[in-house]
Amino acid sequence: MFTFMAIDYQQLVQGDRIHASLLHDPDAFAEEMDRIFIRGWVFVGHESEIKDQGDWVTRQLGNESVIMVREHDDSVNVLANRCAHRGTALCWEHQGNSSFFQCTYHNWRFGLDGAVRAIPFPDGYTNPKEQRGLDRAGQIDSYRGFVFVNLDGSAGPLDEHLGAAGYDLIDRLCDLSPTGRIDLSKGWIAHRVQSNWKLWPESDSDGYHVGFVHASMSAATDTYYDEVAVGGDAVSSSRAVDHGNGHVELDFRPSYKRELSWLGITRDKVKGYYEALVTRVGVESAEQMLWDGPPHAFLFPNLFLGELVVAIVEPLGPGEMIHRHTSVQFEGVEEGFNQRLLRQTEAAVGPASFITSDDAITAERIQAGVSGTRRSWAGENRGWIDLSRGLHREEVDETGTRSSDASDETTNRGFWRRYLELMTRRVSV
Amino acid sequence: MSTVELHAEVEAFLYREARLADEFQLDEWEALLTDDFHYWVPAGRIVGEPSEQLSYLNDNRARVATRIRQLKTGKRLSQLPISPMRRVISNVEVSDLGDDEITATANFVIYEVAAQSSGELRVWPGHAQYRLRRVDGVLQMSAKWVELVTAEIGQRNLTFLI
Repeated sequence: MFTFMAIDYQQLVQGDRIHASLLHDPDAFAEEMDRIFIRGWVFVGHESEIKDQGDWVTRQLGNESVIMVREHDDSVNVLANRCAHRGTALCWEHQGNSSFFQCTYHNWRFGLDGAVRAIPFPDGYTNPKEQRGLDRAGQIDSYRGFVFVNLDGSAGPLDEHLGAAGYDLIDRLCDLSPTGRIDLSKGWIAHRVQSNWKLWPESDSDGYHVGFVHASMSAATDTYYDEVAVGGDAVSSSRAVDHGNGHVELDFRPSYKRELSWLGITRDKVKGYYEALVTRVGVESAEQMLWDGPPHAFLFPNLFLGELVVAIVEPLGPGEMIHRHTSVQFEGVEEGFNQRLLRQTEAAVGPASFITSDDAITAERIQAGVSGTRRSWAGENRGWIDLSRGLHREEVDETGTRSSDASDETTNRGFWRRYLELMTRRVSV
Repeated sequence: MSTVELHAEVEAFLYREARLADEFQLDEWEALLTDDFHYWVPAGRIVGEPSEQLSYLNDNRARVATRIRQLKTGKRLSQLPISPMRRVISNVEVSDLGDDEITATANFVIYEVAAQSSGELRVWPGHAQYRLRRVDGVLQMSAKWVELVTAEIGQRNLTFLI
């Protein structure tokens, strides 16, 4: 008789350790794609990528390929990239502009709203046309241009998922733009990594590794990471923060030793930017913002706000993923400012960068290290990953936000706490 | 100098540049560069203004110096150990622009082993555009632009000299 051994997530995800089998187990991966990427809220893209009516981009959300499109009424729609007839993918390019989507198999044609527009030789059908539209995301919502979807529509409102902290993190990035609006339309660069997707929410928000994994960068060039993330509790005052719902942050604000450190430049070089900021928010707020800079945060489960970089974590399989990033561009800044952000992004993130290429190698080495572990070992005390750093000095405030030294694993524990909630939540099948 | 002689000289330069890159002879490779060297690997085709695009790599001379310094720290995890690699260059075409400025284009295939992690064989096919300048009678490289066949589908780590 065939028996399916259900995965006991309560046993495998504990407060101070998680079991390594979760980083390569294909059964766990399949359940994550369902429970996190279909039944939960995920980031899909930014409205600035589809400025004009008919503009669309394709994106991979777990196992689902979707189309994010600007409709004729300027609203944003997210549709399955799959013909409602026989399942053929509709879009092959990464982006484009169309007034409709047409399948190449039998020429079925769909509007930007997903409704079927034309079917060749329609007399062959008797059921109503309305039943033959494209699958649409169950819930679509956006905040300051960041578009989120919940594919099956069962997750509750976006407010509940982002929480006050999620909104605040996005605000802290967008408010740095002189107009309050950012642009993410410079294109995305895909970094293909032979690791489980969950290693990147961990790595992107891990403050412990910076001085070790990135020692070669610190030795080769000056970087603000030296003042905010290297040296551990002995040197920096940065904080690792678990905002709840899996949204985590390395809060560098207490550590910056000068204004605009995060931009690697002094105020006199970006006078126009500073003045535009003052015009919008006033001198006092502008001064503070020059010190604080943008957040370094991960919004569960797939959106990284890495100062002036935005990245998406795309799972492809238990040991294969893409870390896809773009450069934040500000509206209303002087000539050369946004080019500076492009060069800063190229230095920091991507396959040929000075920083995340070494994170990729680390993730691949973890993948190699854990790939032999088995679920059944949990009870034998084999194959565990330790996430206990800083538990004894973690602080919890009145809102439930946990924080500790930036080198502590508060952020990693925050990710796994949310993971456990979603993987064990009662759902209808 | 005849066209044939120039072609032979440029080819020899490209083969040497390729060998130095393959063998991580970093100082010798850097010595080939002019002070205004530009190194570019776009995320798509070689088209448009490089400074306006988000690229895999867009180094001015100072940044390529940083790139080499980082490789020489002995702590660059993604090249620890360095990748065993060899490249083949073909389809070389040379144009003499006059005033000691020369352009060359070539196709290449690089075979690289990811010795730092999974050990897989990685194949990097592409097209390179070189800009060369004769300085005191010796050829130097003032630009290398690399168009990857795989540019639009994403890359594994690209931390060697491509």
